[in-house]
Amino acid sequence: MSNIAGKAYAMNVITPIRWYMTWINKVIFLVAQKRPSTLNGLMTLSLIHYARWVIIGRNQFPHLSPQQPKEKLNYSYMLFFSNFNGSWAQYVDSFTFAIPSGLDLFWKWNIRYPKSVPLTPFHSYIQFNQIQTDHYYTAYPLAAANDVKAAKRVKTALIEFDTQFGNADPDQFFKQYKALLRGLQHDMGDMQPTPIISLAEQAKGH
Amino acid sequence: MKKQLDLMDIQGNVLRAYGRYNFPLARYVFINIRDGARGRDFLKRVTERVTTAVSWGEGPDPIQKPLHTLNVAFTYQGLKALELPRASLIGFPMEFVMGMRPRADILGDDKRSAPEHWDPIWRDSRHRDRHKDVHAWLAINAQTPAALHDGYEELLQLVHDTAGGVLVLTGHRGDDGKENLAYQDVHVLFENGKPTSKEHFGYTDGIGDPVFEGMPSKPERVVGRGKQMKDGTWAPLETGEFILGHRDEAQEYPSAPSPQLLSRNGTFMVYRKLHENVGSFNQLVEEEGSKYPGGKELLAAKFVGRWRDNGAPLVSAPDATSKAAWDDRFSRAAPLEKDRMLSGFTYNDDMQGGKCPFSSHIRRINPRASLEFNKDAFDTPGALSNRRRVLRRGLPYGQVNDPTRDDGNHGIVIMMLNASISRQFEFVQQQWINYGNDFHAANEKDIILGNHGDDDAPSRAVIQVEPDSDDAPYILKKIPRLVETRGGDYFFVPSMTALRMMAQGIVDPT
Amino acid sequence: MGNVSNNAYALTCLSPIKKGHYSGTAYSDEVRRRLQQWGLHEQSPMAKVPQTYLTRFFVLDDVYYESLPGTDFGGTWYDILSIFSDRFRRAALPKEDHLESKYLVWCCNLHGDMDTYLRAMWHSIGDDIRSLWEFCYGFEDVKGADTFVHYIKQCQLSASLFFVGSNDASLEEQLKGLYLKQEFSRFAAEHQGLPPAELQQAYRAFIERVQPQNLAGPSWRPGQSRP
Repeated sequence: MSNIAGKAYAMNVITPIRWYMTWINKVIFLVAQKRPSTLNGLMTLSLIHYARWVIIGRNQFPHLSPQQPKEKLNYSYMLFFSNFNGSWAQYVDSFTFAIPSGLDLFWKWNIRYPKSVPLTPFHSYIQFNQIQTDHYYTAYPLAAANDVKAAKRVKTALIEFDTQFGNADPDQFFKQYKALLRGLQHDMGDMQPTPIISLAEQAKGH
Repeated sequence: MKKQLDLMDIQGNVLRAYGRYNFPLARYVFINIRDGARGRDFLKRVTERVTTAVSWGEGPDPIQKPLHTLNVAFTYQGLKALELPRASLIGFPMEFVMGMRPRADILGDDKRSAPEHWDPIWRDSRHRDRHKDVHAWLAINAQTPAALHDGYEELLQLVHDTAGGVLVLTGHRGDDGKENLAYQDVHVLFENGKPTSKEHFGYTDGIGDPVFEGMPSKPERVVGRGKQMKDGTWAPLETGEFILGHRDEAQEYPSAPSPQLLSRNGTFMVYRKLHENVGSFNQLVEEEGSKYPGGKELLAAKFVGRWRDNGAPLVSAPDATSKAAWDDRFSRAAPLEKDRMLSGFTYNDDMQGGKCPFSSHIRRINPRASLEFNKDAFDTPGALSNRRRVLRRGLPYGQVNDPTRDDGNHGIVIMMLNASISRQFEFVQQQWINYGNDFHAANEKDIILGNHGDDDAPSRAVIQVEPDSDDAPYILKKIPRLVETRGGDYFFVPSMTALRMMAQGIVDPT
Repeated sequence: MGNVSNNAYALTCLSPIKKGHYSGTAYSDEVRRRLQQWGLHEQSPMAKVPQTYLTRFFVLDDVYYESLPGTDFGGTWYDILSIFSDRFRRAALPKEDHLESKYLVWCCNLHGDMDTYLRAMWHSIGDDIRSLWEFCYGFEDVKGADTFVHYIKQCQLSASLFFVGSNDASLEEQLKGLYLKQEFSRFAAEHQGLPPAELQQAYRAFIERVQPQNLAGPSWRPGQSRP
């Protein structure tokens, strides 16, 4: 299943945008980057490893050789790449349920974007404009974004604990060890391979 | 204007858990339709007896509460056997068309829960012999054994009258190792001669069914059962989450087959027979409970999120002391207040899980607003759980003769009603019961329902403590698989209108 | 700069593919075929490229024609004008775009700076790079790491928004962290209930085994797919 690698799903979406509207998107993206509170909903959803939006002006497709014909396009294009956890439906649904206005803010300027609510036309829009991945690699198939974040907390806390209390007397050690576990009580889930998300799993081949 | 549902068009089991209305017994019969025309004829006569959702004894010309009820639902194969037009059939969602058995992988029905271990009726359905396919579910709920007998005999007569057009399928497992029963019996569990809402692990079940627009229900009952709003109030969920042809939480009509008369006021039902490994459960409570600070009953409560004896929610009664106070208030409370004490809570004051663990059963199947880890991050606090609710129906089956053993005939039959099997039931099963990422628990599962591995992949669960506690969180290790799937399938529960039209063969999607 | 989020970098490349064929298979289809043959997880060539978090490749055949209905900029205005002339209704319909070339799209999330990354990539999987890019315009000038970096920069697009949901630590840090999370949570479970002195003893042995501060010590391997 080429869009999936372990617990990560690679979504690629390409949508046309009127060339004279790209500036709105760029402003919105700039503001979102400068004001992290804008992305609070995304962070809380906690489903994404890394995601990016790329705007290609209609004259900005890479041109590397005189032999290569120049592109002649009516529209500019927005490329969206996401690495997320969970199934396609869960991901798309989470956005429309939790941050519909944020979604609209990013995509409203694209041709024929149907708004994120109601759900069915939005599902169709994303599915229609999605491109299948040919090769997808994640350095940690066993880890969701939550796990990578938890891992950093565990490492930091464990090293700090070891430095301060690793060699303390047993009672002090024990007290602090319990405190360590308390602090990490949401970070200690056992990591195993992903549950089977899709029956296309059977078509994995190789 | 408050929404009104056409109660006489909706089947009774959709809006009512009969067990709570003095119907302590039920019998589920499954049939295979051999001949389309005689199958439709059979359906016509069944439909005349189907119990609707009308409120009994109310209004002008009231309909009285019957001694036994009858309801009916169909698998995809059943609809095909009734010769529904192809254009209607292809409008059904993919998961319904496939049925539950081929989807075992994504449901986590593996190892001892895999189809090859199911009751023969389910093991053989959608398998090699089309004559063994389950086509329809017929349910008789009864107030007394005599009423159950009457209802069943009436049904058998209708089957007999089809002269082979419709046959009852056998292959249900029962007591004493029987494997070939012609029906699945379920019943309320009795304690000291009195009916309870318990199941075989000892937990009080059936609390907290969702409240949605148009449901005949006292308005106060929306607290804890509807959707949590930003201002702290509760609102009913949209009807379309549970009944087709009505607006849902995504501001549209749920996708449904054509024509509208076929789907409107109908819904989908997931039927699952779940065996309970009572011996393993009791052993787990004994062994871990003896080590767990707080003791066995508190630990058992942590598995589910409610105390076993009366269902007191852990968020309201996190320890023995507060439980005693809760019990006292509960014993003196009027019925509506009792209901609120049981269902009307949030996780707002338990975002760390110190009261109700993240892997406890009720938190997993209905996280309420607790997935909004940063306040106000979402459009509405329950954004991630409002569209994952299901209506739960069903009762326990069998009895426990030896509480130290797993084998034996005991478990529950659960039927979950929802507008979208894949978005509601399957999602919860796959992402919240058998997996834990949304709960920051990596692969850890719902303690009670999860498909825990054997020694090759032992299951753990963290039981969180309050951040200001002196204790460490308690880690459950090597959780045995407490519940095993023994069969089931996906059904379409038509409205009365749809039943009549299907029986007449006049469903026309043109 | 949109591609950078502290120490994480978003590399997006579109490499135009020549028209032509490789033994009867169009170049673009051959590139796709090769990509689909690459091993998965720890067997992927990208597992050998240092500091690779997550990355994907696909061949972009063409842009899509947006036939779907939906809200339209100026929609109501066009609706009103359409009453007077059908010209406005037709003008509001989406236009049809086509790409002149197919593109190999490479989207990479990595740690650190791009130049270092690309050089290391060239040195670790040069053969795979050539096999993937050999049919692209301008790649014939790529002879070594320097020219590879130069080539990629010509193909590079900048991200308008790069969202980092997990973190920007080095890959070694992330993998070590994951290893420690897995090992320590198992340790905590297995040694629950031990008296303090025994627990501490077991703990010391555990620390000696897992070496939390040593990134070169025991850890998860890039692309490791089994626990």
